[in-house]
Amino acid sequence: MNALHELFYGFGIAFQPMNLLFCFTGVFIGTMVGVLPGIGPVGAMSLFLPVTYGIPPVSGIIMLAGMFYGAMYGGSTTSILVNIPGEATSVVTCLDGYQMALQGRAGPALGISAFGSFIAGTLGVVGLMVFATPLAEFAVKFGPTEYFSLMCLGLSVLVYLTKGSVLKGLVMAGIGLLLSYIGMDVVTGKARFTFGLIGLVDGIGLVPLVMGLFGISEILLNLEKLGERTILKTVITGLLPSKEDWRRSAKPIARGTLLGFFLGILPGAGAITATFMSYALEKKLSKRPEQFGNGAIEGVAGPESANNSAASAALIPLFSLGIPSNIIAALLLGAMMIHGIRPGPLMITENPEVFWGTVASMYTGNVMLLVLNLPFIGIWVKILKIPYRTLFPLILIFCLIGSYSVNSNVFDIYLMVFFGGLGYLFRKLDYEPAPLVLAFVLGPMLEQNFRQALILSDGGFGVFVTYPLSAGSLLISLFLLLSAVLPAVQRKRRAVTSE
Amino acid sequence: MLVKRTRKVEGLFWGGIGLLICLFTWGPDFGSLREPGPSFLAFFTGLFVAGIGMVMAFLAFISKTFQCQTSNVEFLFRNISWFRLIYTMGLLLGYAFLLNTIGYILTTFLVLFGLLYDWKTNRWGSSFLISIATAVVTYLVFEIWLHCQFPRGIFPWW
Repeated sequence: MNALHELFYGFGIAFQPMNLLFCFTGVFIGTMVGVLPGIGPVGAMSLFLPVTYGIPPVSGIIMLAGMFYGAMYGGSTTSILVNIPGEATSVVTCLDGYQMALQGRAGPALGISAFGSFIAGTLGVVGLMVFATPLAEFAVKFGPTEYFSLMCLGLSVLVYLTKGSVLKGLVMAGIGLLLSYIGMDVVTGKARFTFGLIGLVDGIGLVPLVMGLFGISEILLNLEKLGERTILKTVITGLLPSKEDWRRSAKPIARGTLLGFFLGILPGAGAITATFMSYALEKKLSKRPEQFGNGAIEGVAGPESANNSAASAALIPLFSLGIPSNIIAALLLGAMMIHGIRPGPLMITENPEVFWGTVASMYTGNVMLLVLNLPFIGIWVKILKIPYRTLFPLILIFCLIGSYSVNSNVFDIYLMVFFGGLGYLFRKLDYEPAPLVLAFVLGPMLEQNFRQALILSDGGFGVFVTYPLSAGSLLISLFLLLSAVLPAVQRKRRAVTSE
Repeated sequence: MLVKRTRKVEGLFWGGIGLLICLFTWGPDFGSLREPGPSFLAFFTGLFVAGIGMVMAFLAFISKTFQCQTSNVEFLFRNISWFRLIYTMGLLLGYAFLLNTIGYILTTFLVLFGLLYDWKTNRWGSSFLISIATAVVTYLVFEIWLHCQFPRGIFPWW
């Protein structure tokens, strides 16, 4: 009852005209950056961070949070219509969403993606509201050993799902980890692997890396063809999924919501891992696994629900413990601290308007997103129908601006161009960039937890196999990787992961 | 046969990269099991990459299946418009190179004009207008509204 009372208090704040406006601005920009390939929520939130300086803290947090979960919605649109993930959490949606669009089923794919996102997003907020404290307490009991093993599991799942060679996926994960080590060592404070470049002392930024590997390389791949690249020309009709679509999607949405919620709460695991795990789970449970990669609606419904649920859950450790579970939560943390708010167990009692106002605004934001992404899907499609000859220079300029503006540093542009060229070569040679990016994101936490676990166990590697949760995670990882190289599994895997 | 050879080269390449990383990270920063240093995990990651590279090369040596595949590196890079690729990459690097010197508006205009320019038709009117409009609008949005700090370059009053 107390939670309900507090929620009504939150709605009182969220429904203030100013906060409604900022909530709408946030979800609108979030959807737009989700739709536009090459600029993601991290870049957009970085760009809009200065805007929050001049407005009340609760309005600023509402807007930034809106961008975060709004991008989760918008990212699926480009995945389905152009086969380019608007942002990293929509990579998996490309696999079946684009195939559905090619088969003339873009409408149901977009529809189930929006409904799944709405259901999962709303349930995720309910979870955030009701279970915040106990779930955060549970997750906080995990030690460095468990975190390390869980991150290994996340990486293994990603490699297992890599299209083509598992060995290439493992190499990419290794390269991602190595790139994440560049910069300041968090334990000793010593700069490492910087090759004398001052720009590398703070490490390689996620924004130039992702923009390069996904945005620039994609554009280069399209430019190499002499002919004009065409955006999928399809008439989007029947956005409301059929009964059969709902029947096939109901369970994946439910499973994706739960999986996303529990993975989203874990630092490092987050929305990206949740989408890949959801896809793997649905493929495993499906009676028609061969349809995955060829337009299975379950492959859209599950991951899209998982990423939206994870987006809400990712805020739990931030709000209740002051721990950002990903780079976006870290940006929100920065915004709060600018306003003198200290996230942590005391935040809910000291600044209830921020916590409950943001929670309540997420309900209204999800409704706004459903309206933006279904009746007004035409607006986003029109953005996508701009001729590629005109669109790609604009995307490149946004990449350049986004990459520069995070640190106001030209070096980040050089990095982005470098990773663009590298990503192009990788893709040409069938090396998927997704394992690299996930390993890069998980790398610092993986390293920190690994070193802490060794220090705490006095150098005993056995600690990773004696703790039940850790041992379980590592066993599953091993099973996945070994099974992927068995000839029979390899043949089946190739069939389901090839487009 | 070409694919098999490519796999061998790829495997040996990654094996070499991994070993180089091991050599590079082996030293005082390695630390110990009880007190891992800054390059501790990097060493093992290098070892991991080297191991995978070796497995890749070994499989290419013993496997006969690669010979059946038709694609190869030469095929992958055939019929590519190298001019457009190099030209685009050159403009992106040019943006980074010129930004601090000549400022945001002029650099954005020049690079965008270069990217939009149609070399087939030699039409420049629409490219010019879109470039100038984009440069001004993005300046107003990012610099004036969002207070992003862009270099002013040779026009300090902008």
